[in-house]
Amino acid sequence: MSGTVDNAAFNRNDDATLDPNKAPANSTLPTRSFHIQQLEDRDRFITLSIGPQHPGSGHMRIIVVVDGDIIVSADPDVGYVHRGEEKMSEHRTFVQNVPHVERPVIHDSSNILYSYCLAVEDLIGMQVPEKGMYLRTILAEIDRINYTLYWLAILGIFMGHSTMFMWTTADRELFVELADMASGNRITHSYIVPGGVRNDLPQGFADKAFKFLDYFETKRLPEYNKIFYDNPLFRQRSEGVGVLSRQDAINLGVTGSVLRASGVTFDVRKNEPYGIYSDLKFEVPIAKTGDSFARSILPVLDIHQSLNIIRQCLSSMPQSGQVRTKLQPNPRGPSGEAYCRVESGRGSLGHYVVSDGTPKPYRHKMSVPSVRNLLALPYLLKGARLADLPIIYWSLNIWPVEIER
Amino acid sequence: MSGPEPLRRIRNLIDPGAGFGAFVGKLGDALVKAIDRPLGYAVNWGRIYSLWPVHLETGCCSVELGAASSPRYDLERYGVLEAFGSLRQCDLIIVLGTVNRKMAPRLRLVYDQMPEPKYVIAMGACAITGGLYFDSYNVLPGVDNVLPADVYVPGCPPRPETLIQAIMLLQEKIKLDQLKSV
Repeated sequence: MSGTVDNAAFNRNDDATLDPNKAPANSTLPTRSFHIQQLEDRDRFITLSIGPQHPGSGHMRIIVVVDGDIIVSADPDVGYVHRGEEKMSEHRTFVQNVPHVERPVIHDSSNILYSYCLAVEDLIGMQVPEKGMYLRTILAEIDRINYTLYWLAILGIFMGHSTMFMWTTADRELFVELADMASGNRITHSYIVPGGVRNDLPQGFADKAFKFLDYFETKRLPEYNKIFYDNPLFRQRSEGVGVLSRQDAINLGVTGSVLRASGVTFDVRKNEPYGIYSDLKFEVPIAKTGDSFARSILPVLDIHQSLNIIRQCLSSMPQSGQVRTKLQPNPRGPSGEAYCRVESGRGSLGHYVVSDGTPKPYRHKMSVPSVRNLLALPYLLKGARLADLPIIYWSLNIWPVEIER
Repeated sequence: MSGPEPLRRIRNLIDPGAGFGAFVGKLGDALVKAIDRPLGYAVNWGRIYSLWPVHLETGCCSVELGAASSPRYDLERYGVLEAFGSLRQCDLIIVLGTVNRKMAPRLRLVYDQMPEPKYVIAMGACAITGGLYFDSYNVLPGVDNVLPADVYVPGCPPRPETLIQAIMLLQEKIKLDQLKSV
């Protein structure tokens, strides 16, 4: 029941093959000393299954082989939330796909929809009104903060720091409320649609947003440093743990804050600007150390930039105008393919859509950042201590539902 | 079994035959009925304010469970505490959204390991009928074939207020529980 992988590992070492007396003398089988080594290894190594019913694993399972306290190998076992979103896309039209495309990361739904809508607009050949692009950016940045605060809450509670969970989930409600006011739903907005956004902002949004942003930036964010990032307990557990060098980060293909923590300046908003990001002023914070502490603090430095972006958008947004290009029923384009990516809360997130001229996609592939960052996990866990697993795992900025799509 | 007539009568009275079993059963029912009001009330009162959910995330509704545990909604007011402990100390399982083919046997295994009495809340449209994923090849059409659900919470995902209402409905249901004469 506990999985096929464990059984296979134990069947390989069953007693018949391990008994040195039963092995023929002149066979090509491994020698006696190899068998004894195997026996000793089996006694020394313990296979642990962390998840799916485990507080520290999220929606997935990590099979960890430990030698005492040291992790020998780690194998992420995913598939507990696989829902076949890519196949489902082939049976729905481009617009019908909007609600389920945002479900893999429901608390970062605007960013995953943003790249899908960019790809569909590229295929159909649509222009987005200027006001629509500003509104898209506002919601995308609100969701980036929303995602980062929830991730920080999980990181905090799995480090045993309940205060961090309580504070960040409470502050997250500010941004959930803003998104709720703009779109009508707390986390699954379906606000960004092909052609623009669904509706204009309600009256009084800008005043409320400025009030919330000022409160959050001046009162709340400095407190995080005091209780979490300057906390000696947290620093001891995270500094120098799970170091990913610059070259390894590039070779493994990680993205987002994990890549920037290793000293690579890459942000899709800067390097391949989409929407109105080329007109906005913001910086890309990076760190050189590449350890878990840098990976934990970089998303919070990104929050400062997101707050600035929302302020710039709200003050320079055109006051009137269309927010959405009118679509034909069942919009379709010529046969072709499109790939567009955006910078989500976790890294570059792309959608690859192939059209054969019908209103439904012929193939839809999501290229999600959680998979890229997960690929670094077995590499980082090898040789680490078992107690460092939660900080290494959650500092990689992974949302497990997105891995399996 | 032979003997004088009076002795046989006494032996029939003591011998646990069919009539005697019925008598004991009736006595048990009467006893349970007598203590059900005061004792059952106390037992149920203890149960409704210590609902500890298992930490098993099956889908993306876990985000709203996290929001419901946050200081703004604070599920702990109703005795629901995400304990992060062993599932052998838990008596509530909240099915957080989609259940797929790989997760369903694990979900049942977790449910079977929980001690009685145990309650199930099916949260989200996916856990009720499959929801948005009704035509997906890997998603079960609802959790009903795996677990007996007590309360269904509609929504995709449900707002935290809806989850709190479901908890209150479950507490009303537990109040109606009666002691069983086993």
